[in-house]
Amino acid sequence: MTQLAEPNPLLEGLRVRRRAEPCALTIFGASGDLTQRKLFPAIYALAFRNLLPEQFAVVGVARTKMTADEFRARMQEAVRKHCRDDFRSEVWDELAAGIRYVCADLVDEQEDREVIEVLNEVDETRGTAGNRVYYLAVPPSAIEPIVVQMGPHRTTGGWTRVIIEKPFGHDLDSAQRLNEVIRAYFDESEIFRIDHYLGKETVQNMLVLRFGNGIFEPIWNRQFIDHVQITVAESLGIEGRASFYEQLGAIRDIVQNHLLQLVALTAMEPPIDFTSESVRNEKVKVLRALHTPGPKHVVRGQYGPGFIEGEEVPGYREEDGVAPDSTTDTYVAAKVYVDNWRWADTPFYIRTGKRLPRRETTIAIQFKSAPHPPFEVDRDDGLRPNVLLVHIQPDEGVSLAIGAKVPGQGMTIRTVHMDFLYGGAFRGGLPEAYERLILDCLLGDATLFTRADEVEEQWAIVDAMVAPWRRDRPHFPNYPAGTWGPGSADDLLHRDGRSWRRH
Amino acid sequence: MAETLTPYITIREVERELARLRDASTEPGQPPRLRTSVMTHIAWVPERWVEAATGTLAGLAERHPSRTIVLFPRPDDPEDRLDGDVDLRCFVRGGEEHEVCSEVIVLRLCGRRASAPASVVTPLLVSDLPVFLRWRGPLPFGLPELEGLAAVADRLVVDSSEWPDPRDGLARLPGLFERTAVSDIAWARLDRWRRGAAALWPEIAGASRVRVAGPESDALLLVSWLRARLGRDLELDLEPAGEIELVEVDGRAAAPSRAEPKTASDLLSDQLEDFGRDRIYEEAVRNFSSAAT
Repeated sequence: MTQLAEPNPLLEGLRVRRRAEPCALTIFGASGDLTQRKLFPAIYALAFRNLLPEQFAVVGVARTKMTADEFRARMQEAVRKHCRDDFRSEVWDELAAGIRYVCADLVDEQEDREVIEVLNEVDETRGTAGNRVYYLAVPPSAIEPIVVQMGPHRTTGGWTRVIIEKPFGHDLDSAQRLNEVIRAYFDESEIFRIDHYLGKETVQNMLVLRFGNGIFEPIWNRQFIDHVQITVAESLGIEGRASFYEQLGAIRDIVQNHLLQLVALTAMEPPIDFTSESVRNEKVKVLRALHTPGPKHVVRGQYGPGFIEGEEVPGYREEDGVAPDSTTDTYVAAKVYVDNWRWADTPFYIRTGKRLPRRETTIAIQFKSAPHPPFEVDRDDGLRPNVLLVHIQPDEGVSLAIGAKVPGQGMTIRTVHMDFLYGGAFRGGLPEAYERLILDCLLGDATLFTRADEVEEQWAIVDAMVAPWRRDRPHFPNYPAGTWGPGSADDLLHRDGRSWRRH
Repeated sequence: MAETLTPYITIREVERELARLRDASTEPGQPPRLRTSVMTHIAWVPERWVEAATGTLAGLAERHPSRTIVLFPRPDDPEDRLDGDVDLRCFVRGGEEHEVCSEVIVLRLCGRRASAPASVVTPLLVSDLPVFLRWRGPLPFGLPELEGLAAVADRLVVDSSEWPDPRDGLARLPGLFERTAVSDIAWARLDRWRRGAAALWPEIAGASRVRVAGPESDALLLVSWLRARLGRDLELDLEPAGEIELVEVDGRAAAPSRAEPKTASDLLSDQLEDFGRDRIYEEAVRNFSSAAT
C-alpha cells in the first residue's frame, strides 16, 4: 500500500466511513453459543454494510471436531437464524472464503502451532497483513491458558488485539491476576474487555443525552435529583446454564459489570472529549467514589416457584444442575452512594434479578417534587415528581413524565409521558451491541470497553458487598418467580420514604 | 374481536409486534405519530361478558389514549396456551398533522394460563403510568387471578349490578380497599339520585325508611350511603326493577338531578378519569359490610 503524502482532494465532501485495516479475527470458543447467537450474526451484519476490511479472515478455534466446511455450514445456519439482516449469498460467499477452522484445545504447543500456521496462511492468501484480533469467547478458566499459549506468538508484521468476554475474573484477586497474566504479553491498549451493555445504542445515548443537551446537565445533581433507580430485570431463568450460574450469581453476572457501568454512566462528570482514555477516566472516578454499601443496604434473593407469562415455572433450586440447598443469589438490590460534590447524599438504588415479572433495563432519574404547588389538588394522586426514564431494553428510548392539567373545569393534574422512542424517530434498525463492539475493536477504539483499573474497582465493590454473605446463611428461596424480588428489597426504599417504580 | 386471534402467542411476540406497529406507523417525511398513553387499561372479560365489553370498549380509546389489554379467560380450555392479537388504533387530533395512537392487545388465556394473569400483563404495562383494571362480572375474592391483578392495578373498576349476589360481593369488597382504589359503575349511576336525596336535607335528617324501585345492588349502595352519612339506621324497602325508577326517603320522593342518562362507555370513561380513592363510596360499602357481618 502506498501512503499518499497529501490528503486526497477527491474525497472531500464524500462521506468516508471509518474502515478497519486488513486483519484476521480468531475466535476461541468458536463452537459455543455466543459465537452462533451473537458473534457470527454481528460479523455478517458488518459485512452486509460493507464495514469490514476487504482483506479479512475469520479463524474459528474450538475443541469440537469438524472440518472448515462443516464450520462454515454451521455459521451460515446461525447467521440465517439470528442475524437482523436478510441472508444474501454474495455477502456470505465473500465472507465464507475467509473462514478457517482449527480443532484445538490449546494445551500443547503442537495445536497452537496449527493456529499460527493457519494465521500465516490467511496473511498470505487473504492479505490480512499480520494484523490479528483474538476473541476469547471461552469460559473464564480457559482465558489464562490461551493467553499464555498465544501471547508469545506475536506477528512481527502488524498489530495484535485481544477481546475478552465477561466475567473478567470472579473477584478482585483473580481479576488482578488475570490482568497481570494478560499484560505480560499485551499492552493495555491492546486489551479489549467486553461489557456488551456498552455497545447498546441507548447506553451511548445516555452520554449524548447528558452532554449533548444543555438542559439536563445543570439539574443533574443532588440539588434537583431526589434519587436514581437502576433496574436490570430478566424474566428468564438460568436457561440450563446452571454450572455457570451457580458460580456467579446475580452479583457477579450482572452487578459487577452491567449495573456498575450504568451507575458510572449516570453519575460521571463530563469527559473533556469522547476518546477512550477521557471517558474511562471519568467512569473510574465514579467507581472510586462509590461508597461501599453496608450489609443493611444490600439485599440478596433467590427465586422459588411461581408464574411467568401465566406459565408455572420451577424455583431456582429445582432447576436442572442446581444444588437443592444452593445459596446462589438470583436477585440483588442495593443502595449505593457516590461520595462526591455532585452526588453526596443522593441514593442510587440498583437491582437486578432473574425471573422477575418483565424483561426491562431502565435508568430512572427521579427529580425532587415541586417545592410549593399552588394548586388545590383534590385527588390523592395529583402531583407526582418528574421522572426521566431511560429505557435500555426492550423499547430503547427516553421518556419524561410530567404533570399536566386534565382539560375541563377544575384542576385535575395527571401524569403524561413525553416519549422518545428510537423506533419512532429514526429509520433503520438498531445495530446489535456486538456489531458496534467488534467494529470498534477492529478500529482500535477502546472507549466502549472496560479498562483494567475499571474492572478492578468494580470487583473491589462487589467483594465488599459479598464479604458479609459468608457469615450468614440466607433463607432461600425468598421471592416467588414472577414477582419483583424479596420484601426486604421494598423495605430498603420504604425506610427512606421511597418505593421502587412499580412497572 | 375474539375470533381472529393468533394461537400460541408469546409475550415476547406481542412486544415485538407492538414495536413493529410503532415503526410502521411512521411514514417517511411525516412527523412521527404520537404514542400517547395516559394509562394502561386492563379489561378482564369472562365469556358471558364479551359482547357487552366489546361494545363498551369501542370508542373508548379515542377518549383515553392508553394501552388497552383485554383478557379473555378460558380456564376450562383443555390446552394451556395464549392466543392474541395486537392492534394500533390511530385517531386524528388537532388537524391532519397529528395522529394519536392507542395500542390494543387482546389475549385469550386458555387452561392454566388463566390462573396467573398478573404475570401475563406485567411485562406489557406502560412504564410508570397508572393501571386501571375493569373487572367484568362477580369478583372471585381470594382467588389468585383477582389477587394478582388487583396488586398490579392502581384502580379496580367494577359494576356491582353485574354481580348475581351483590350482598355477598359488597360485604367482601372492603377487603380490597387498602390494596387498590375501587370504583363502582353502579355507584356512578347513583350520582344523580344521590344529588336528589341530598336536596331533601335537612328534612330527612331523622329519616328511618327508604323505598327504592331499582336493582338490588344500587338500592343497597344507596341505603348504606344514607346510613353512613346520616349516622342512623334506615330500613330498606326494595321493589326490584331494571334501573332505578324511584327513591323515597321517609315518603319524600327524591328528584334525580337532570342529567342525560349516560351510556356504558361514558360511565367507564368517567371512572378512568378518577385517580384517588372514593372515600364516600368506601364508607357506604364498609357500612353495608359491617352490618352484614
